[in-house]
Amino acid sequence: MMLAENSEVQPVDQRPLVSVTGLSKQFPVRGNSWGAPAQAVRAVEDVDLTVAPGEVLGVVGESGSGKSTVGRLLLRLVEPSAGKVIFDGQDLGDLGPDELRKFRRHMQMIFQDPFASLNARMTVGDALMEPLKLHRQQRGRAAEDEAVALLEKVGLSADHFKRYPRAFSGGQRQRIAIARALASSPRFIVADEPVSALDVSVQAEVLNLMQNLQQELGLALLFISHDLSVVEVITDRVMVLYLGRVMEVARTEELYDNPAHPYTAALLQAAPGYAGESRQILGGEIPSPIAPPSGCVFRTRCPFALAECAQTVPALREVRPGHYKACIRDDIAL
Amino acid sequence: MLQPDTIQHSAHPVLSVTDLKTHFFTDAGVIKAVNGVTLSVNEGETLAIVGESGSGKSVTGLTVMRLLARTTAKVVGGSIHFHGRDNVSTDLLALSEKAMSRIRGHDIAMIFQDPMSSLNPVFTVGDQVGEPLRVHKGLNKREARLQAIELLRQVGISSPEKRVDAYPHELSGGMRQRVMIAVALACDPRLLIADEPTTALDVTIQAQIIDLLRKLQQERRMAMVFVTHDLKLVKQIADRVAVMYASQVVEEGPVDEVLANPRHPYTRALLDCIPSRRDGSGNRRSLQPIPGTMPNPLSPPAGCRFHARCSYALPACIVSEPELQATDGKHVTRCIRWQEIAP
Ligand SMILES: Nc1ncnc2c1ncn2[C@@H]1O[C@H](COP(=O)(O)OP(=O)(O)OP(=O)(O)O)[C@@H](O)[C@H]1O
Ligand SMILES: Nc1ncnc2c1ncn2[C@@H]1O[C@H](COP(=O)(O)OP(=O)(O)OP(=O)(O)O)[C@@H](O)[C@H]1O
Ligand code: SF4
Ligand code: SF4
Ligand SMILES: [Mg+2]
Ligand SMILES: [Mg+2]
Repeated sequence: MMLAENSEVQPVDQRPLVSVTGLSKQFPVRGNSWGAPAQAVRAVEDVDLTVAPGEVLGVVGESGSGKSTVGRLLLRLVEPSAGKVIFDGQDLGDLGPDELRKFRRHMQMIFQDPFASLNARMTVGDALMEPLKLHRQQRGRAAEDEAVALLEKVGLSADHFKRYPRAFSGGQRQRIAIARALASSPRFIVADEPVSALDVSVQAEVLNLMQNLQQELGLALLFISHDLSVVEVITDRVMVLYLGRVMEVARTEELYDNPAHPYTAALLQAAPGYAGESRQILGGEIPSPIAPPSGCVFRTRCPFALAECAQTVPALREVRPGHYKACIRDDIAL
Repeated sequence: MLQPDTIQHSAHPVLSVTDLKTHFFTDAGVIKAVNGVTLSVNEGETLAIVGESGSGKSVTGLTVMRLLARTTAKVVGGSIHFHGRDNVSTDLLALSEKAMSRIRGHDIAMIFQDPMSSLNPVFTVGDQVGEPLRVHKGLNKREARLQAIELLRQVGISSPEKRVDAYPHELSGGMRQRVMIAVALACDPRLLIADEPTTALDVTIQAQIIDLLRKLQQERRMAMVFVTHDLKLVKQIADRVAVMYASQVVEEGPVDEVLANPRHPYTRALLDCIPSRRDGSGNRRSLQPIPGTMPNPLSPPAGCRFHARCSYALPACIVSEPELQATDGKHVTRCIRWQEIAP
């Protein structure tokens, strides 16, 4: 399956910036001395996706569904067990360590915990000049000016240049992390739960900032979050993960208005803001990723599961233009 | 100052907190974490306390439970009245530690956000659910174990006969939170204080736990105080809501009324921050962050604490602290311009 081939999802003339096929990652779990065998956590299984230039793709799913691992695989911060990541025509797997380091200027990451992602002993100015030096060969006065320009871009000022991260609030630190990610002039950013640790008023501020910058700079964004209301606001398309597999992908409005996969429907109904009439609460919990269920991985919690659901892994197939789901049933009303 | 009769308490609220002040005396100065909080909750009713980080929600709950370390935390004003099943009203602040320990875990129980830090890793689930039954109800080990199995069943843990012997680390986060609920409900408390009990959980598990709490609360006619920072959850769980800002309740009333018709600019502003792409009529809506930042708890502003961020602020707002005023029988707000705030 190639999402990119669908003209409804991506205009034909627009080549995807990031394109991923068959991406899988297993983390080995060592056996122990009592004879438990070595096993593997199947964190990501056979994921295909594309991100167009300037597009915001949301990734949602419950804890352990593989969201962060997908993000890290896209930037090749972890080696895939299988599959390819192609960035603007370049297969990242073909790059050596040095080439990869240089290539990273095009792809940056923002994390949930802005404090952990900034070096406490580096002033904000130094933290911003580091990538400028590394990726853009800027030094001295030019780098300083550029760093101040970056601070201003994220709503801070030259006054903040010489301060240390601890002097900033959570929202300000996240602004600094965003400025740092922008320093190398990337075209693609993976934002992993960037507003999850923030209070709602600060979250609104940071979301607005990200949205404005993304539009102004034409950035492509992989926006990872477990908060469906945040994802609805900022994304163009959404991909739903469960136990490392893609359950559904669609344009944001389409996904929220007409979810086609039982898991997506369940997630939307479980969200605290759910406004619909009847609310079905999904029972059970996510099974272990060491031994995921056979066939459809969602079948142990799916209210619509049939005997066939245990047989084969449902393929991701197009149910409406640009709207894909991995579920064998078309006869269910969600 | 607050007029106790501004808020129409029903005959006997299970809990009524009046003008509570809990301050921390630290090296850096005095943190007035709770500074004039008034709230009440009736039998069979859920009151949500909602507010951003640091607004004083947890300290309010911990003060009621008398769980704050006496060394730094001092209650410098106000009262906390608990109305027990025996129809006697007790001032919790006046109780000896010994008398309080008979109430805590028995008549009043609390659930915390992080079940891992409140469950003891070296005891089995059964030991921990059974403990309040042994302590408060005098059950022996065997009886407590049987009751624990029954309680685990009630909180939706499958095969409770097996799980009763499990250790906390053998359970998922959602199951641990269910165990915490079983511990809290063991003695059939009259009041349950739940401090962000679902914040660490996935949405589907959160929905399960909220549903469970709501069901158990209704079955037992328990009074519940549900602390959260999520206004969207409030609608689902609570009958009434108290909105906290900078150590005070700034607005309180029936959930539907407060959310549809907020009478405090802060509540309004919080509602405007909630991400939602479409308003009621299906149009795209942009997020409206609240300008400025939370006041420093060491030096809160004079007058209305929200004035520096408030789009309705007048010079008068800086002069003196607004009192809680009733907008109608059940709805109160701490804003001098509440009549002008359009819904
Ligand atoms: N370095 C690692 N070693 C072993 N297992 C790992 C590693 N990183 C992730 N995993 C496992 O892979 C699975 C997917 O993890 P991942 O962090 O991608 O999930 P997530 O969707 O980001 O979850 P969360 O919402 O909790 O952040 C989980 O079962 C996790 O325990
Ligand atoms: N033990 C303590 N010593 C000193 N200050 C404290 C202590 N506990 C809380 N505080 C301060 O009291 C204020 C209120 O804290 P509280 O924990 O009640 O906030 P909260 O509303 O529960 O926030 P959150 O949503 O982050 O849990 C904060 O400024 C906090 O830093
Ligand atoms: S394939 Fe079967 S189990 Fe999976 S989501 Fe569809 S109906 Fe449910
Ligand atoms: S009292 Fe004044 S500053 Fe405070 S909320 Fe009301 S209008 Fe705003
Ligand atoms: Mg993650
Ligand atoms: Mg708290």
